[in-house]
Amino acid sequence: MAVIRLSRTLGALCLCLTLAACGGGGGGGSSSSSGSSGSGGGGGGTGTPTLTNFATVIIDGGPADVVAQGGAYNEPFVSVTLCAPGSTTNCQTIDHVLLDTGSVGLRMEASALNASLLSALTSETDASNNPVGECYQFVDGYVFGSVRQADFTLGGGKVAGLPLMVIGDSGPFATAPSSCSASAGTFLNTVALFGANGVLGIGVTTTDCGNLCAASVNQGSAFYYDCPSSGCSTVITRAANTSAPFQQLPNPVAAFSTDNNGTILSLPSVPTGGSSTLTGTLYFGIGTETNNGLGSATILPTSTSSGPHGAGLVTIVYKGQNLVESYIDSGSSDLFFVDSAITACTDKNLTGYYCPATPVSLALTVNGQNSGQSAVNLTLNSAQILLTTPYSAIPGTGYNPSNSKTLQAPSSSFDLGIPFFYGRKVYTAIEGRTAGGTVGPFIAF
Amino acid sequence: MNRDGPGAEAFGGDLQDRRFPLARIRAGLVAIAAAVLSLAAPVASQAELGGKYASVVADGARMHAKLRSLPATNYTVHSLTLANGGEVRQYATADGTVFAVGWNGPGRPDLRQLLGGHFDAVQADNAPVRGRFRRHPLAVQRSDFVMRSSGHSGAFSGIAYLPQALPTGVSEKDLH
Repeated sequence: MAVIRLSRTLGALCLCLTLAACGGGGGGGSSSSSGSSGSGGGGGGTGTPTLTNFATVIIDGGPADVVAQGGAYNEPFVSVTLCAPGSTTNCQTIDHVLLDTGSVGLRMEASALNASLLSALTSETDASNNPVGECYQFVDGYVFGSVRQADFTLGGGKVAGLPLMVIGDSGPFATAPSSCSASAGTFLNTVALFGANGVLGIGVTTTDCGNLCAASVNQGSAFYYDCPSSGCSTVITRAANTSAPFQQLPNPVAAFSTDNNGTILSLPSVPTGGSSTLTGTLYFGIGTETNNGLGSATILPTSTSSGPHGAGLVTIVYKGQNLVESYIDSGSSDLFFVDSAITACTDKNLTGYYCPATPVSLALTVNGQNSGQSAVNLTLNSAQILLTTPYSAIPGTGYNPSNSKTLQAPSSSFDLGIPFFYGRKVYTAIEGRTAGGTVGPFIAF
Repeated sequence: MNRDGPGAEAFGGDLQDRRFPLARIRAGLVAIAAAVLSLAAPVASQAELGGKYASVVADGARMHAKLRSLPATNYTVHSLTLANGGEVRQYATADGTVFAVGWNGPGRPDLRQLLGGHFDAVQADNAPVRGRFRRHPLAVQRSDFVMRSSGHSGAFSGIAYLPQALPTGVSEKDLH
């Protein structure tokens, strides 16, 4: 395992040197190992302080359990270090945590944590002094587990006592309540099912549920539960504190003491045939250091958490249609959109994917809420390559979320997944935080 | 994943073996259980896809929602605005049959309740994926039941309908 990972890392570094495109801005982004925080790039005897506001991102086949099943593609991973609160010795660095701009909060599979660490992670408790549980919805299913605290490190960023979810924890957390499973899909409670050791959600909101869990509504993506040893059934409220002490799971970047107004995900471009692995950089903060300025990026305000359809949405105009629930999501491996004019794949393993005979040019206009407009040109390639290539970074894959041979589903959404991120710096500004003179939430690129 | 297999086999085995008292007692208990289920079923089916218009009012009560009804050609759209700001739409024919439901909002609504007996089809046709191809939206494509969904955590949407119950002249494209 260690040998495999080392060779992968070396491969990624070679790729970086070849492309000369890794890392982006002045903070540097290459690193000596996938788990380190990097060395920063601002030094060199000039007297400039060394910057640490970034972490290395890698796209590869994922954790061993996932590699054994064919390996992930177009999934960006980071390594996080967790310590028992207050401890500098009871720590563990966990690789292959999915970096997701489409969700909020840190969630780890229980099986990815050492027993000694897990048992020392403080449980959050509610007004009844019982442990707190949480259910959280993803597009293909849901996770359920305990809410605990850990001292958290991501690259050069740290949070003491960060609330996180431990998916599939033991005791009352082993089984999801019916009110959790009612949202349908799979209980993603193993590394193999989830496709990663955990997920680091760094979307546009400060917490994962906001006011929806602060009142007795609890009909958002997140539900918090009172969890006595007999089980979790009663849904409880949790305050939407936007800074420590948090009650809900916070956006870990929003919980940083500095560089906490958003992120930049910088990934190099990928050749048509793909790359075996890819290394990029996640910068913390927007316009707060010399390595995270907005530059010429266009600011596109998104919907807010008080909007009727949730936070993070923009309008994408595609072939004359105004797709008003569109978004950018690093947790999506493909471009998700509906277009009956593009040939669908016929292989049964590729149901729902697009397989055009020759690459298709996609001309999009992204409109922010009330202001901001940016033209985007993408190339859609045949997904047939997924059946034959062992590579993990694959450009231009597209998927029809209607999963239908007739391809006539109504849709109001275009999801710009990882193929959009290749060769770009994508900014995600957090709700209520000012970034580059503009109050979030917004995206920019 | 054999979700409905083992239960059916266990029931059949007990009912067939009537020579032994213990088996008869078991069979009796099964019959009672079946009767209770049959009594419960109509209550549950009122609040689901394929149920009657009355279910819309019941759903509104359960979801703390405000109801707004709009007549369209051949059918009526009953729109529930949820307390979370999201929306659930139920499409009903003139006789009150709910032939489609749609949703959008910060979370997926209680689909077990909204889809009723069709919830099992969602689970069966979206079985856990362990290969290379994962994290795709929930979808069902059957001759008698279709579901589409999209979105990400914090902003979901979807539609489910019964193709054979669509009113004349109404297609999937009208349901949004």
